[in-house]
Amino acid sequence: MRLAACRPPRRLSSRGRRRPLISLTPLIDVVFILLVFFMLASSFLHWRAIDLDAPVKAATGASAEGALVVEIRANDLRLAGEPVGLDALTRRVGDRLAAAPDRGVVIKPAQGVPLQRTVAVLDRLKAAGVADLSLVRDPAPSGGG
Amino acid sequence: MRFDPPRPRSDDERILPLINVVFLLLIFFMLAGQLAALDPVQVDPPRSASQGEVGPHDLVIMLAADGRLAVDDTLIDAAALGPALAARLADTPPVQVWLKADGQADSTRVIALMETLREAGVARLKLLTVPAEDGGAG
Repeated sequence: MRLAACRPPRRLSSRGRRRPLISLTPLIDVVFILLVFFMLASSFLHWRAIDLDAPVKAATGASAEGALVVEIRANDLRLAGEPVGLDALTRRVGDRLAAAPDRGVVIKPAQGVPLQRTVAVLDRLKAAGVADLSLVRDPAPSGGG
Repeated sequence: MRFDPPRPRSDDERILPLINVVFLLLIFFMLAGQLAALDPVQVDPPRSASQGEVGPHDLVIMLAADGRLAVDDTLIDAAALGPALAARLADTPPVQVWLKADGQADSTRVIALMETLREAGVARLKLLTVPAEDGGAG
């Protein structure tokens, strides 16, 4: 009796419109939570890969014979012992490969050279059309690996 | 003559545009992003012009800038890597391995890691990179 009296009559609610059966507020809460979850959990990195087996490999000393050696040092690049810039390196390697196409190129980063620099040189040499690229470690004693 | 803008009739209708926008954002993030597990070590991958596809992988090896190593989701000591890999490769011989190395990691360290992997019998190794942004690679 009392309960029925408390419930507002439907037809008399604001301007005769019916309230929706399900309120939107909890729905919005859930959607917001989902939104925040997806914003925090998703990553937008577009991964690419460099094959380290087919053209680029960790060569042993023997296979480096007769190859062009590109040394990456802390503050310069050396092609066969002489300092060059990145553009000159690309050009010269391209020239030499035009003369002898099956010649390999060995990239030898010095101790402490960040990987980013090595990858940049690798990119340039690949763009120059080098097919046989190898990475070798500087024979200087390294701190384990 | 003046037209009053129609007044929203209830609270729900007033926030409907907000809900629309939030839904759109939600769908954008669901479709555009990829859910990724949090890596055990912080890796800032090198930028590269390489366009190689990443493809599937069986094993991820991570090398942080400070030299910490992780195999899949567990941190591992550098000395323990060889035996761990050998044990892992004994079960499934041909393994495609991803190498996620930090751009600031020591190159010689990465090459040493490649040698270790080769000795352990990993035939296919990929170095993961991200495309260069307009700043360019240093």
